[in-house]
Amino acid sequence: MSFERDTLGRQLRNRLTPAAAAFPSRGRQAYRAVAGLTMLAVLAVAPLLSSGYVLQLATDILTFVALAYSWNLISGFTGYVSFGQVTFFGMGAYATAVMVLHTPIPWYLAIPIAVLLAAMAALLLGAVMLRLRGIMFALGMLGLARILAVVAANWSFAGGAVGLTLPAQLTPNAVYAGAWAAALIAFGLNAFYMRSGLGLSAMGVRDDEGAAQALGVATGRVKILTFVLSALAPAAVGGLVAWNRSFIDPTSAFDPNMDLQLVVFTLFGGIGTLWGPLLGTLVLMLVGEQLWAYVPELQLALYGGLVIVVVLAFPGGMVGLANRFGWLLRRPIFAPRSFPAAIVPPPAPPSRPPDDTILEVRDLSVHFRGIVALDTLSFDVRRGESVSILGANGAGKTTLFNAVTGFVVPSEGSILYQDRPVAGLAPFQRARQGIARTFQIPRLMESMTVWENVLLAAQHGRLSRRALEQTAWALHITGLAPMWLESIARLTPGQQRRLELARSLALGPTLVLLDEVMAGMTRDEQEEIRGVLRRLPEFGVAAVAGIEHVISAIADISDRMIVLDHGKKIAEGAPAAVLRDPVVIQSYLGEVR
Amino acid sequence: MTQATFNRALRPLALASLAAALLCATSAKAEERPIVIGGSVSITGALAVDAAYHLHGLQQGIEDANAQGGWLGRKIELKYYDDKSDAGTAVRLYTKLITEDNVDLVIGPYSSGITQAVAPLINKYEKVMIEPEASVPDIYVPGNLWNVQGIAPSLGYLEGVLPLAKSHGAKTVAVLALKSAFSLACDKARLEQVKALDMSLVYDTTYALPQPDFSSLALAIKNAQPDVVVVCSYYPDAVGIAQALQRAGYAPKFFAEAIGPAEDEFTKALGPIANRIISNTSWWASLKTAGNAAFIAHYKATFHQDPDYHAASGYGAIQALGAALNAVKAIDQAKLHDWLLHNEVQTVQGTFANDPNGAAKKFNQYLFQIQDGTRKLIWPLADAEAPAQIPYTGQ
Amino acid sequence: MLVLQILINGLLLGGMYILLAQGLNLVFGVMGVVNLAHGAIITVAGLFTFWFATHTQLNPLVLLPVVFVAMLAIGALLQRSLLEPLAGVGRKSELLSLMITFGLSYVLVEIGLDVFGSQYVSLPNLQTTWSLGGLTINEALVAAGVLGAAISGALQIWLRHTDSGKCLLATSQNRIGAVACGIDVSRMRCIAFAIGSSLAAAAGVLIIMVIPLAAQTADSLTILAFVVVALGGLGDYRGAALAAVVLGIAQSAVGYYGGGDAESVVPYLLFILFMILRPQGLGRAVQAQ
Repeated sequence: MSFERDTLGRQLRNRLTPAAAAFPSRGRQAYRAVAGLTMLAVLAVAPLLSSGYVLQLATDILTFVALAYSWNLISGFTGYVSFGQVTFFGMGAYATAVMVLHTPIPWYLAIPIAVLLAAMAALLLGAVMLRLRGIMFALGMLGLARILAVVAANWSFAGGAVGLTLPAQLTPNAVYAGAWAAALIAFGLNAFYMRSGLGLSAMGVRDDEGAAQALGVATGRVKILTFVLSALAPAAVGGLVAWNRSFIDPTSAFDPNMDLQLVVFTLFGGIGTLWGPLLGTLVLMLVGEQLWAYVPELQLALYGGLVIVVVLAFPGGMVGLANRFGWLLRRPIFAPRSFPAAIVPPPAPPSRPPDDTILEVRDLSVHFRGIVALDTLSFDVRRGESVSILGANGAGKTTLFNAVTGFVVPSEGSILYQDRPVAGLAPFQRARQGIARTFQIPRLMESMTVWENVLLAAQHGRLSRRALEQTAWALHITGLAPMWLESIARLTPGQQRRLELARSLALGPTLVLLDEVMAGMTRDEQEEIRGVLRRLPEFGVAAVAGIEHVISAIADISDRMIVLDHGKKIAEGAPAAVLRDPVVIQSYLGEVR
Repeated sequence: MTQATFNRALRPLALASLAAALLCATSAKAEERPIVIGGSVSITGALAVDAAYHLHGLQQGIEDANAQGGWLGRKIELKYYDDKSDAGTAVRLYTKLITEDNVDLVIGPYSSGITQAVAPLINKYEKVMIEPEASVPDIYVPGNLWNVQGIAPSLGYLEGVLPLAKSHGAKTVAVLALKSAFSLACDKARLEQVKALDMSLVYDTTYALPQPDFSSLALAIKNAQPDVVVVCSYYPDAVGIAQALQRAGYAPKFFAEAIGPAEDEFTKALGPIANRIISNTSWWASLKTAGNAAFIAHYKATFHQDPDYHAASGYGAIQALGAALNAVKAIDQAKLHDWLLHNEVQTVQGTFANDPNGAAKKFNQYLFQIQDGTRKLIWPLADAEAPAQIPYTGQ
Repeated sequence: MLVLQILINGLLLGGMYILLAQGLNLVFGVMGVVNLAHGAIITVAGLFTFWFATHTQLNPLVLLPVVFVAMLAIGALLQRSLLEPLAGVGRKSELLSLMITFGLSYVLVEIGLDVFGSQYVSLPNLQTTWSLGGLTINEALVAAGVLGAAISGALQIWLRHTDSGKCLLATSQNRIGAVACGIDVSRMRCIAFAIGSSLAAAAGVLIIMVIPLAAQTADSLTILAFVVVALGGLGDYRGAALAAVVLGIAQSAVGYYGGGDAESVVPYLLFILFMILRPQGLGRAVQAQ
């Protein structure tokens, strides 16, 4: 079974060849933009000329479009599925209502202020709630909505459980216009977001949060920022709906069924896509409106059944289905028309003495619930040096890498990087300072292209010209340039290893930690990796490679070799000498031969 | 952006405009010979059971009016949609009924909450609306001009309990209320009544649904040892609190719950515990109100069930509307509204009469008690079918 | 004495929560899937029991084994047709199976509404209340609590002392390891979901005698069960039992001293606080100390 991966692969095969990416002329573009705007205008005006019911339905659809797009931001891109976006809807509704009823603030100021308040609330709540993962976050949000409903029910100033009746200040046309604005802004936010560095980072979080950290993505900040963005439209819509209905109470302001609808609409249209929320909302609301005239008692069951069918039969939703025919494809983020012909190498490393120590590990110990994974380990790595760390499975190589990159907190000892202790720095901060790593089992971003995988690391949190150059360079020297727009699923295991290497080099590191970089590769593939590793010193990059089996392939390109056994260093020195050391042979090599 | 991509980008928009065009096209007017009354009804969702009685009451009322030749010589038709027990949907449906279906008259939906959401809309379109199921007082305020209450106000729910209990020597009272519009109105009125009657309040609290556990509230009540327990409840909490009190091993002398005891499921759920629980109603089969006997007979014949007070208020609303129309002799919203506020109509529910804000002012509230599986009217004493059985035993 | 009564009430409530949560926990432990249709299964089973008991006048407890066995078959069928196709798509499968069970819950709730109506129902069985030196204890809550504990104990014995149970436990602790040991993981998933659903159905049969249920209560039961499981630590069976009791006692105490509104917030507040302060769950937090 393969889901989005497959679709993306097809998408890339069909569409993203450099030839297809040719730009149209400006004149044509303008013509199409005018056509699009005209259509939008017709769409916007038509309901105004028909009955109040059509206007109301159109307003409801637009409101849900805005809500679905907001839900799509947090749930579709960062992968943090929220069952409680209604929280911000309710906040917006209540804030607007209370302001207009109890202060002289007019509604057109009250709604923006409510949005601002909701954004601030999202900032605070996000810092707390986004520490929850997966289902915990989803249900945590649901719980939050329920708590707020109880708070509102007990807050007599806001009408308590009885609710608030608002004076009818807004005409239906004004609400309709507001709903259009909210829908357009939410759509624009999505369109902008999914082509930005933030969107790229968010997709990294969705695919593999840990790996994203190791590539310098400030995952916490990305999630919170996205969460705040996803709170804006619901708050605005909440304010509008409060006025539209002229009545709010805790049950309708914090109605959990609203999130069901958002999930269904977005999923049906295509989660994490630009057109999915719009298509899903439009189709399901129009069909639903007709359907429920005939089979009212079955509407929710049909929605539920639809979710099941969509997930099983076409998990990409309508957009996923359209992708199969080459329609509505996502464009790779910041990919140029064709692979850059001129490769700009990274700036030359600072001219410091070659024996300049960049990593000092001092008496490092790591314990896991009484199990000693690393035992008072000490060693140094100098700039541009190549060190290999030999050890059987469980000897502590990965634990060492995790400690250096910040994924594991050492129990004792210290780690100094470029003469400064790294303790207290988050993994992404260490990555940005130049400590890169690869993983024992490649952890590539499955929903992204090769180009985007590398760009994610190169951007350092901000897209720039330099990031694009760095990406092109990293792909070039790892030999991946020809498949720069492929999806991950179509890479061979060897190419996947090289892509991991390319990603870590794109960070512009001074130190690369390579975990089992040659495991399970053919001789040709090993040779390709060796070719890249040999060139590292010329970029001022030191490499520390952890290896278990393919010793011969690494020994001749290593300056130094360290042997670990049960977390302890048992030998260190030149590879030839170490491999002849009787202690090493007895404890390690002896068992292999 | 490539041409092709842009083309594709426009495709959903094209689809949407097509859909919008279709919608506009279908909004053609229907032939309007009969007088059409429009409303939303909770066919599905949490309120469906009670709302069904409401709908049957309306349908029976219209059937009986048609049997007598209709209004202004025209037949009467009911046009209704399912609001799924959801206020937002109801708002959309009333908009549809008024602006698209162009119904002649509108009638209120089931439950105070949904009516509250619809009320501002009715104001906006200046349609007179009799609200046969909205008991909360908050709707009937000067700002909500077009709303006319067609049921006894919830302030009067369980009104007779405390005087009845006091006449039997009860002194201490516990009041519990669900956090909802009507029950909080009932709560407020009962708390004031405790003071007015010079009884002493030993415990009061509010709770929200769904709340599966009432054991700690029951324990707190037991600790306070009140003579009277008054619960301004809906159905599920009425059952839950009765169960919890029994589990805590406490039986107050008087035990009254607002909504719930009238339903058959209540006695099925509670068995012997339900015996001697007191509740209120604004209508009873034994009352000699205008047309009551005929209403009950017709209703039973049509729906093969006994009517309850929701059915009676639905039926009564149609009676009142018919009286107004026959007096005004035209479908003129303003005149109908004016007539309803200045005249009295005798309906199955009693005297349909409203104050200038539209609140009902002459409906009576009655108490009934579950006595060995059957429900008997016990209050006011003048209408009582049987004397109250005291104390509540909890067995 | 009052404090003791609150403790007893909380304990009995906790017993009911164990009953509610056990099946959800098993499914999560083995499949890594939060079954959002859990509450719907409980509710539909409860409504069916009500319908059966009022139409046949039989003791609803005779339904317990029948419903349990029937649900085993239905659960296995649901797992095979809806969830198994999603197993093994990696990180995506969690989200997708969440969506599937989300959809399933709405289908079940609607079926419940259409077949049994939206009315809250409850059965008047097990209404005896015992008085022991000023303390009162109710039969229904004791039955639910004792059965909850018994089912929990039986599950423990099965998981730890029988071959099939050990396979299941092994799968829940380490899926890859289980595959390596030759355990048919796909079969284990099916068994876990079938038993998890049966436990939910059994809970429904009992719960209908304790609290009023209606089709629309399904969601809140799922959430309640999930909160218990999450507090205990997902997939941690003893932790869940501990969490159920803690939650029960906390609710009883807060309800007594703070009233109904405060009590209804307790599960959510505890959940959010705990997830932030002790994400590994109550069970593991206690073990670690």
